[in-house]
Amino acid sequence: MKKPRSESSSPAIPLPIPLPAVINKEAAAFRRKKTIKYLLIHLAIIAFAVVCVYPLLRILSISIRPGDKLISTDLSLIPDGASFAAYVRLIKETLFLRWLWNSLLITVATSFIGVSLASTAAYAFSRFKFGGKKGGLILLLSTQMIPAGMLILPLFLMIMKLGLMNTYLGMIIAYSVSSLPFSIWILKGYYDTIPRSLEEAALVDGTSQLGAFYRIILPLSTPALSIAFLFNFTTAWNEYLVARVVLFSSKQYTWTLGLFELQGQYITQWGMFAAGSMLVTVPVLMVFLYSSKWLISGLTLGSVKG
Amino acid sequence: MDILYSIYEVLWFVLIVLTGIALIEGYFYYHFKFHDKRWFYPVALAAFPLAAAALVRAVGLAEDPVRPFLWFLGSEALITVFFRNVVKGKNTLAYMLLAPAFIGLALLLVYPFIFEIYLSFHDLKLTTIMAWKATGHLPFVGLRQYVDVFTTSPLSEVTFWALLGRTLWWTFINVFFHVAGGFALALLLNNNIRFKGFYRTLLVIPWAMPQVVAVLAMRGEFHSQYGFINIMLVRLTTAFPWLATLGIGPVQWLSNYPLTTCTIINIWLGIPFMMVVILGGLQSISSSYYDAADIDGASYFQKLRYITIPLIRPVLMPAITLGTVWTFNNINVIYLVTGQSGGTERADILVSALYKAAFTYNRYSYSAAFAIVIFAILFFVSVFYLKSFDAAKEER
Repeated sequence: MKKPRSESSSPAIPLPIPLPAVINKEAAAFRRKKTIKYLLIHLAIIAFAVVCVYPLLRILSISIRPGDKLISTDLSLIPDGASFAAYVRLIKETLFLRWLWNSLLITVATSFIGVSLASTAAYAFSRFKFGGKKGGLILLLSTQMIPAGMLILPLFLMIMKLGLMNTYLGMIIAYSVSSLPFSIWILKGYYDTIPRSLEEAALVDGTSQLGAFYRIILPLSTPALSIAFLFNFTTAWNEYLVARVVLFSSKQYTWTLGLFELQGQYITQWGMFAAGSMLVTVPVLMVFLYSSKWLISGLTLGSVKG
Repeated sequence: MDILYSIYEVLWFVLIVLTGIALIEGYFYYHFKFHDKRWFYPVALAAFPLAAAALVRAVGLAEDPVRPFLWFLGSEALITVFFRNVVKGKNTLAYMLLAPAFIGLALLLVYPFIFEIYLSFHDLKLTTIMAWKATGHLPFVGLRQYVDVFTTSPLSEVTFWALLGRTLWWTFINVFFHVAGGFALALLLNNNIRFKGFYRTLLVIPWAMPQVVAVLAMRGEFHSQYGFINIMLVRLTTAFPWLATLGIGPVQWLSNYPLTTCTIINIWLGIPFMMVVILGGLQSISSSYYDAADIDGASYFQKLRYITIPLIRPVLMPAITLGTVWTFNNINVIYLVTGQSGGTERADILVSALYKAAFTYNRYSYSAAFAIVIFAILFFVSVFYLKSFDAAKEER
């Protein structure tokens, strides 16, 4: 196909008469004012950006400090004699890799369970009319009103009664439904945008409704599913309060508990704490920056509609 | 070996969940599909209660399976009558798709909530917990826990009313600065400037970092000797000695001003979210409004007052609501800053005191009652808020 030629490429029309000097002067003043304005904006933003990024840079610089200078009032970002000794020590002397592994297992299992439950429930909400639909949606929203801290105690007691303290299973049970209402909301919103005619065509061709869901809707909503998965994943990955009460042996710790241990009140393992923080933060930052756009639209979508 | 075992453990659990879902779906399928068959009642009444009682016996929840069996039989009778006469197999697929999610929510959200109400009328504490674990029986104490919430301290000295006041103050200050800071940054970023995307990325970093890392790192910066803030204060006073005479000098942030420290950290954490939401709102405003206002000779603040603020209200209000609830419920920041042994309770708000009362002081029933009280406060505030929101909508 031929591309239509753009209209804007016509050359600028030269002015027939030179502008009077006054106007030129005014234009120059205007431009100068504008440059100063933009300069100020840049300066202000950079000042804020420094405040936002500086703590992260400080962790980085502490993590590469040589072992004998960990505690110092030095503020330079790249210290003298920088080395990765703290990272090596962290991996050799603590159970950090084990903590990461624990977190990973718990998180992947909860996200898997959460997203699979949410994907089918959201389909029912998106495509069917049934008694109690509105009530169900309101119930989902109202669960968000329950303060998160409030359910920790009964969940803790339930897990204790079931004998699942200090196990992965206890953690997975405690986490698995916490992001479910939110995931159902995002997925329902996404399914609503997929035209029904696609499924109708498949139904005419002879699949069942469930087959249409599995073969058409699910593959088409991969973006929304991965966002729901990421949301479940980050919530469980960064969780601290439930883990604090369910897990008590350091072999079972998730990384959040492990880092908190390293930063005790009086004896802080600064170097190892900083190294661990860096190892955890960098991947999370990358995933977040990649997915933040969708996460935000999901957040505001849910609340506006409610 | 450990790793293999842990994978096995988790896979085994996922398998159990899947089996459970399959069983539930089979159960529903029977009730939806065969509700009009002549053998619907006898088969259902014979098979399901027996299977459930056998399961209860196998898992070891009850020694004597007869009582559970009778209980299941009764409920199954009600369920079958309900399916035969009310549901009649309508919307089979929809309900079956919903069933796993809603059973999950019922077990892990609704049931704990009801259990918490039950706890708040009984007496579960460190001395009665062993008996409860063995027999499942708890002494009933009526409203005593609720009376205790208002008359005794949830922690060791701070009172409920002080906590309530502190929570309201904390919520107000935080949300105010989140919105003000987010608004200012969004206005700055909304200009047609270079490196916009890059700046935006840098500015969301506090929000994007794992909260545990962000809070613990900031907490380190407030350390009395090696934290950035006190290092700067010391350098300032050595460079300009006259500042010291004005009373400026290193501050014992964590021990003397814990609430201020937590507030500063939380403001730092919360601005990026507001900024991103408000920036999204600003970018959706058509520039033609501003052009028209320019022609009319409106000043910058007039444009802000009469165009920007009214037009981003629909984005701003939900964000503020969400932010208020989050800030009100923020245990993380306060617990991570003050939660270690020997930590102070002068920075605690309602929810963090709740967490500490339950897990540092082990007063389970007391904190259940405390939780119900907090829930009631939040519930009434939000109902009131929604009402006034609706009223404001009707006025416009």
